[in-house]
Amino acid sequence: MEVVDYSKAPPLIEGNPTLGHIDDSIAVPMEKRPSKKYFAALSITLTMLLIGAVALGYTFYYGIGMWGNNIPVGWAFDITNFVFWIGIGHAGTLISAILFLFRQRWRTGIARFAEAMTIFAVMCAGLFPLIHLGRPWYAAFVFPYPNQHGIWINFNSPLVWDVFAVSTYFTVSLMFWYIGLIPDLASMRDRTTNKFKKAVYSVLSLGWRFSNKHWQHYEKTYVILAGLATPLVLSVHSIVSFDFAVSILPGWHTTIFPPYFVAGAIFSGFAMVMTVLIIVRKVFDLEYIITKKHLDKMAKIILVTSMMVAYAYLMEPFIAWYSGNAVDWFVVVSRATGHYAVGFWMMVACNVFIPQLFWFKKIRSSIPALFIISLLVNVGMWLERYIIIVTSLYRDFLPSAWHIYTPTIFDFGILIGSFGLFFTLVLLFSRTLPVISMSEVKGVVEGAHPTHHIGAEHE
Amino acid sequence: MRVLIQHIILVQNMSEIQRIPPSGRRLYGITAIFDNPDKVLSATKAATQEGYKDFDVYSPYPIHGLDNAMKLKPSRIGVVTLVLAMIGVVSILLFTWWTNSVNYPLIIGGKPYFAWPSYIPITFEMAVLFGAVSTVISLIAIWLGLPRNSHPLHDTEFMKKVSSDRFGVCVEATDPKFDEKQTMDFLQRLGGENVELAYYEVHELSLRKAVLDPKFVGAMVIVAVASSGATYFSLNKMLLMRPWSSLNNQFKVLPESRSTFYADGFAMRPPVEGTVARGHMPYIFSGNMPSAEKYMKNPLLPTPRVMEVGQRDFNTYCSPCHGYFGDGDSRLQGQFPSPPSLHSDTLRHAPDGHFYQVMTDGFQNVMPSYARQIPRDERWAIVWYIRALQRAEHAKGSDVK
Amino acid sequence: MITTDKTVALKTVKLPESFSRISWSLLIIGIILTLLSFAVNPKHASFGLIMTLAFVASVGIGSLFWVGIEYVSSAVWSTALRRPFEFIAGVIPFLIVIAIPLLLKMHTVFEWTRKSLLKTDPALVIKAPYLNEPFFIVRTLVVFGIWWLFYYLIIKNSKLQDTTRDPKLTARNVRLSAAFMPIFGITLTIFSIDWMMSLTPDWFSTVFGVYFFSGAVLAAMAFATLLIVKLNERNLFPVKLTADHYYNLGAFLFAFVNFWAYIGFSQFMLQWYGNLTVETAWYIPRMHGSWAVISIALVLVHFIIPFFALLTKPAKMNPHRLVFMSVWILFAHALDIYWIVMPVYDPGGATFGLSELAFLIASAGIILTVFSYKAKSNNLVPVGDPKLQRGLEFHI
Repeated sequence: MEVVDYSKAPPLIEGNPTLGHIDDSIAVPMEKRPSKKYFAALSITLTMLLIGAVALGYTFYYGIGMWGNNIPVGWAFDITNFVFWIGIGHAGTLISAILFLFRQRWRTGIARFAEAMTIFAVMCAGLFPLIHLGRPWYAAFVFPYPNQHGIWINFNSPLVWDVFAVSTYFTVSLMFWYIGLIPDLASMRDRTTNKFKKAVYSVLSLGWRFSNKHWQHYEKTYVILAGLATPLVLSVHSIVSFDFAVSILPGWHTTIFPPYFVAGAIFSGFAMVMTVLIIVRKVFDLEYIITKKHLDKMAKIILVTSMMVAYAYLMEPFIAWYSGNAVDWFVVVSRATGHYAVGFWMMVACNVFIPQLFWFKKIRSSIPALFIISLLVNVGMWLERYIIIVTSLYRDFLPSAWHIYTPTIFDFGILIGSFGLFFTLVLLFSRTLPVISMSEVKGVVEGAHPTHHIGAEHE
Repeated sequence: MRVLIQHIILVQNMSEIQRIPPSGRRLYGITAIFDNPDKVLSATKAATQEGYKDFDVYSPYPIHGLDNAMKLKPSRIGVVTLVLAMIGVVSILLFTWWTNSVNYPLIIGGKPYFAWPSYIPITFEMAVLFGAVSTVISLIAIWLGLPRNSHPLHDTEFMKKVSSDRFGVCVEATDPKFDEKQTMDFLQRLGGENVELAYYEVHELSLRKAVLDPKFVGAMVIVAVASSGATYFSLNKMLLMRPWSSLNNQFKVLPESRSTFYADGFAMRPPVEGTVARGHMPYIFSGNMPSAEKYMKNPLLPTPRVMEVGQRDFNTYCSPCHGYFGDGDSRLQGQFPSPPSLHSDTLRHAPDGHFYQVMTDGFQNVMPSYARQIPRDERWAIVWYIRALQRAEHAKGSDVK
Repeated sequence: MITTDKTVALKTVKLPESFSRISWSLLIIGIILTLLSFAVNPKHASFGLIMTLAFVASVGIGSLFWVGIEYVSSAVWSTALRRPFEFIAGVIPFLIVIAIPLLLKMHTVFEWTRKSLLKTDPALVIKAPYLNEPFFIVRTLVVFGIWWLFYYLIIKNSKLQDTTRDPKLTARNVRLSAAFMPIFGITLTIFSIDWMMSLTPDWFSTVFGVYFFSGAVLAAMAFATLLIVKLNERNLFPVKLTADHYYNLGAFLFAFVNFWAYIGFSQFMLQWYGNLTVETAWYIPRMHGSWAVISIALVLVHFIIPFFALLTKPAKMNPHRLVFMSVWILFAHALDIYWIVMPVYDPGGATFGLSELAFLIASAGIILTVFSYKAKSNNLVPVGDPKLQRGLEFHI
């Protein structure tokens, strides 16, 4: 057994690089001409985006009848994708806000990327309720504004809560991300020799001067934003879960939904961050900042959240049985044995059984294993939302209304398109902005802080 | 965009610019570079001890302990967050209450008008939104005084260093203890390298010049033309095209056109043979006036409501020919033969069934049947109204009571 | 083998005799009051004893959870503070003692034990394979047994390290705690379903276990904070704790106050919104009559007031505020349990009598007595823990 030295804090960055070296290596992707591989990747994601755009064009032109949705399955791929992407978005805020509050300083290496992924994922997510409106140019109707009809939106509706939650979440995440970017943009401003880039960086960095009088307020604001973002991130997926749980549909109406959805969101979000970071650290030579220890810790968080999800998987059927409610129990049985049973068991396997491999240190330190498991977790979590939505709907209360839902190519096209959008944005981001927070990483390098001061602050 | 930013900066700098001596160069302060955080911390402590107040430390990342060394007061920005978050809570609660229970009350799901548990999620979101946005805006605009891209320290070697891997101190000229020579010596003594003077740059002094810059004016004109054009196009053209045309193009048969869906070209399907319309009542006295007069009685009572309906229907359907009072004074200006007065003795003594039969069946090929336009009960109401008119024209003394 | 190269300077401290005297007398008064209440009104007293069991169990198992979490997450800030948690977890072996009188007389409190009800309530027939007396007793014994086992193993390693200073024991406890976490989740849920949810046998809520968890870990943290801060302020703690340690304690209290509100609101809102008879039946007595007052008080006492009292950073670091809010939160947790349990006894209105008094005094007495007993015979800080020095140097 490997003996861990508990008496020393593990270093957060490998090889003890100089501050200048950190700048250099993080700035490389922004300063070098991208390689052919980059363009190859970009062309793949743009193709996916194009597929999505075509499917979306058809949907807009002919209406959402192009999809497989039909009564009683009125929600299917669209809402599945919405919940899936919102979930992906949760890891970013979790890493940047919650781990910040817990002073898990290993987060510095991955926070920026995860935050960017949050923003892109929320953009993808926001797309789906919008296109599910059928006529998205009327989307303004969901906001409460005084109008000639003399009516107001229904604040009792969880769908309205969603509008508030997702737009607040997007706004706050964007601000959080931008506030974090300001010092790095200023660093880039002073680094670059290109006149145009300098102008852009100057404008975006707002003329940041690295002054300590500024840092003081800046850090306080960062803490406050983290403190606000932490309950916000919990509330967003809770409110998404309310979309289902406030109804009295069996399989949806269950009180564990809010924490269960949040755990699931963190679970899938971490898996997605891991998938992307494994590629990023390799491609951009950032293995000394995004170390194996980072991946190990993320794997542990995936394991923990997997067990939270498993807890919900246990509680739901147990209480469905315990309630003595025949309809509730019927849905549990129909999920496990009905038309969508394959999806259900794949979901259980991907979300509960496979992540259990992370109990083993060997698996946690094997990059291919981490990569494959993180992909499977994402598949599992997508299936989870699909199973929750479709299996609760397709067997309506009246057996005469039962209807098997089958997605059309347009459903798949839009799903592929959302991945295309996400990865295109990720690729563009990785070339235009610092993918790792320079100022934060500099702050956790060994010797970054005065040596003799520790503990002096509060005496 | 750049020009725009310069405007903002110029406005911010106006106060400083006014104080610039005619020579054009004004000292901002003295900068020094330090190697590591330990050195800069001890330099900071020394500067504080020496009595300097207007100085600042520059570092690529926030360094622990500097705030205390500079004797900075704890940031109070949290107050903004708290106050604005509370304002958010109160305003959204008032708003949901007012919209959903005062201005547009609707009962939804058997819940009370002010269903507070439903409003808590939104209340929370608004608290966070108000708190976060106000914090960030006030941080940037009030506490940091940003955006400001024309600070004397910008584009200096000093800034290049502190933005990457060095640590710097800048003592500003506004400090009461500031003395060009002494302060330079002081910083050098502390181990500062590259001790230099930093000056304000004084180009682009005139705000007017920037506003009248042809590039700026041109950009504004282009923006104006483009945005008004886009607005015109989207509101007047785009919204009439598919798919924005909002169900203007539907798969349906328009009036007076053939259905392409059904072989027979009709859009409506004929009802199944033997279908009886809802509420249909067979009328057995058709063409049989004597029986109608003999067997039918008005089923309604002359309540005010019945009289009202009768009056309304009489005025709508009967009065064009019979006149408002049944005098037979047609308003149709002879396009149609005027009917006789309803106040003749014969008609005054005719039974109710007579009038009903006339309305239902039509009369002598002159008056058509009104059975399709006027429902059964309303025809009877009209009968009551006719009776009232007749009585009014032949009022007796006892009626006054 | 790695051993710690730094040694920690320890003060020798001794808990004052008065502490142990007060604890013992509270315990004895509590026991006498409990016995008295049984003499006066056995049914009322049984419900009172359920509250005592729930309170003591939540504080005890919650403390063990914090100990486990420290190991699993390799946290260092709490290493110096771990012992008080361990001592409080020492109540776990005594839970069965509190439970025995209730297990012997299950009919007085658990409606589902009545055979006559099976005929009228079809849902109870379905539940009967779970809700029956023998299985209930087995479950209780197994749950307490598992808790005791993990308590025994983890604490044994921790104590052993005081003398051997073997870092391998930390590694062993890390693995033990990792295994404990999922088991903790399931057993705590079973405990909460059995002892509180099944009091209203028709009612169900999937999140109930999480709800009880949120209150339990909060109460455990509050109890430990109370003792730690009090001891440290009176100079009775062997090491010097700083405001940064206080800050973390306060932050966790604050976090779990919010977490409790979040779970409690979710449970309430969903059942209120769904408006199904079988679900709202649990909330209706609690929202009418004097219980409505208790419900509103619960929201204020358990959430709103602690939220504002612990919101700012200086508040989290202020020892007086922390001590006061710890007591406050413990009271809030007692109120929470009261709010869960007692409306079953009397749906008509809030009760306060001998049983409630016995509950408050006995709960405090049991935990304090166990603490003072353990504190006498053990080190107040884990002197052999390799993380101790880092824990003391911790700063935010």
